[in-house]
Amino acid sequence: MQILINGTIQGLLFALMGIAFSLVYSTTRVFHIALGAIYALAPYILLFFIENGHGWVMGIPAAMMVCAIAGLICEETLHWPFHRKSAPPEVHLIGSLGMFLIIIQLIALCWGNDTQVLRSGIDQVFVIGNIRLARAQLVGGVISLVVLGIFFLWLRRSELGMQFRAMADNPILLSLLGRNVRNLRRLVFMLSATMAAIVSIATAFDVGFDPHGGLTAVLAGVVATIMGGRGSFLGAAVAGVLLGLIRSEVVWHFSARWEEAATFILLALILFYRPQGLFGRAMRLEERP
Amino acid sequence: MNYIFHLLIYFEIYVIVAMSLNLLIGYSGLLQVAHAAYYGIGAYTAALLMLKSGFSFLPALAGAAIAAGVMSLLVSLPTWRFRGDYFVMISLAVQVTIYAIMYNWTDLTNGPYGLAGIPKPALLNSIYATQESIFLFYGSIVVLLAGILAVLKQSPFGRSLQAMRDDELAARSVGLPVRLLKIESFLIASAMVGVAGGMYTAYVSYIDPTSFTLDESILMLSMVIVGGTGNVRGPIIGAAVLIAIPEILRFLALPDAIAANMRLLVYGLLLILMMHLRPQGLAGKYRFE
Repeated sequence: MQILINGTIQGLLFALMGIAFSLVYSTTRVFHIALGAIYALAPYILLFFIENGHGWVMGIPAAMMVCAIAGLICEETLHWPFHRKSAPPEVHLIGSLGMFLIIIQLIALCWGNDTQVLRSGIDQVFVIGNIRLARAQLVGGVISLVVLGIFFLWLRRSELGMQFRAMADNPILLSLLGRNVRNLRRLVFMLSATMAAIVSIATAFDVGFDPHGGLTAVLAGVVATIMGGRGSFLGAAVAGVLLGLIRSEVVWHFSARWEEAATFILLALILFYRPQGLFGRAMRLEERP
Repeated sequence: MNYIFHLLIYFEIYVIVAMSLNLLIGYSGLLQVAHAAYYGIGAYTAALLMLKSGFSFLPALAGAAIAAGVMSLLVSLPTWRFRGDYFVMISLAVQVTIYAIMYNWTDLTNGPYGLAGIPKPALLNSIYATQESIFLFYGSIVVLLAGILAVLKQSPFGRSLQAMRDDELAARSVGLPVRLLKIESFLIASAMVGVAGGMYTAYVSYIDPTSFTLDESILMLSMVIVGGTGNVRGPIIGAAVLIAIPEILRFLALPDAIAANMRLLVYGLLLILMMHLRPQGLAGKYRFE
């Protein structure tokens, strides 16, 4: 039971990361690896604000804003120019990889390669029945549930949410209908970076952070997106939770050293037996990007 | 002088790596980020054959080629039908999984402690211990492999690969065996990079899993992207440029802690610049479309 709860909380964070990646991926077809670097950036900004005596209340929104700007920079310097040249997905991917390297190395140059923590001492532990939860875990779980809830509500109910779904479906048609796809793209990149920052800060509060943790996080998001099915936000969320559960089971039954490998073996199995993902629909060969 | 020969030997090894990766990216249109994993399989196979089974250098190289080739079959037989982003994901999965195996299968690979005391390269009874002799010996292997690739490129096989790269559906419609072509090109590229791994092992005589990480794969990818895809001279130029960069940075006398980060930062910048200005690389022929 303890493992299930731990896995679910981890899974909720993965789900949010999956949504963050899939927001960009399904609407713009950009394989946004640099999101991992933005993820790594967030706790450092927060740390910077705390060290300068501004506290959490200033630090967290500031970190989210800086990350959103970083996301915007990715779009303005890379993906929009590439999109204008109608470059193939490979070019976006390699460019994003380059941006990932640059941001990560800048972080390492400014703050060093070591692992850092946001809190000191042992975290407060709540005991409910026979389940023990650290405060950081509890907060992380609640925050990701709330953000997921708001996101889905917004996606279903609001005009802008509908535009997002339309863009995931067919961006060219949307621009022909007179919508400003350029601004929507900007918003997508900023929103996804903000979500990554939320996940990152919640995780950093629990287990600490270092410059190189971003890749693992974005890969979890990618796996959740592909497992869930391209273009399905709900699929990405469900797959994220599933991924968290399976990973914590692997840690419990085998060893933490196989956690990463297990993620990818799972991905390979899903791609092999259900290439369209758990919630995706099958596409014809010419339709596939 | 030893320093120059040391660089030249590295250059020779990476020329093979970049040429084999170019066979995948430039000729078959498959973007792969697991090349360091196959390189590592070759390195470990050669090391284990020489250390534990008493093989001499050339049979161990052949063993390395076979092991990397068999691994490529294990991957390519189930996954040949994936393209674009999905293929990148699969290769990422392969990279992470193989790295986890190298790191965790301590009985065979000695895990993070690595394998030491690997014999220097030898041909028949003459052992090449000096840098100059290793340089000449490896040079002849490079020329041999480059010759094979140049012949392959002009052959019907090479032409079919390029046809498949340019338009897979059209290639299938004129009866080219796309599945077989992909599996074969993957096999050849992996076997070649396995040979390079064996050469690396024998030269440095100590290996551990950190030489075969995702960062290394990214370095290999950058070589091909920067140098150019789709012809023989592109990857050679790319290998030269990317080996020269850390050495130039060395002369700037940066502190050690910063040097590694600066190197990766420059790689990232290079990737982005290439994607903006010359997507086909410095001397390349093929650009992603």
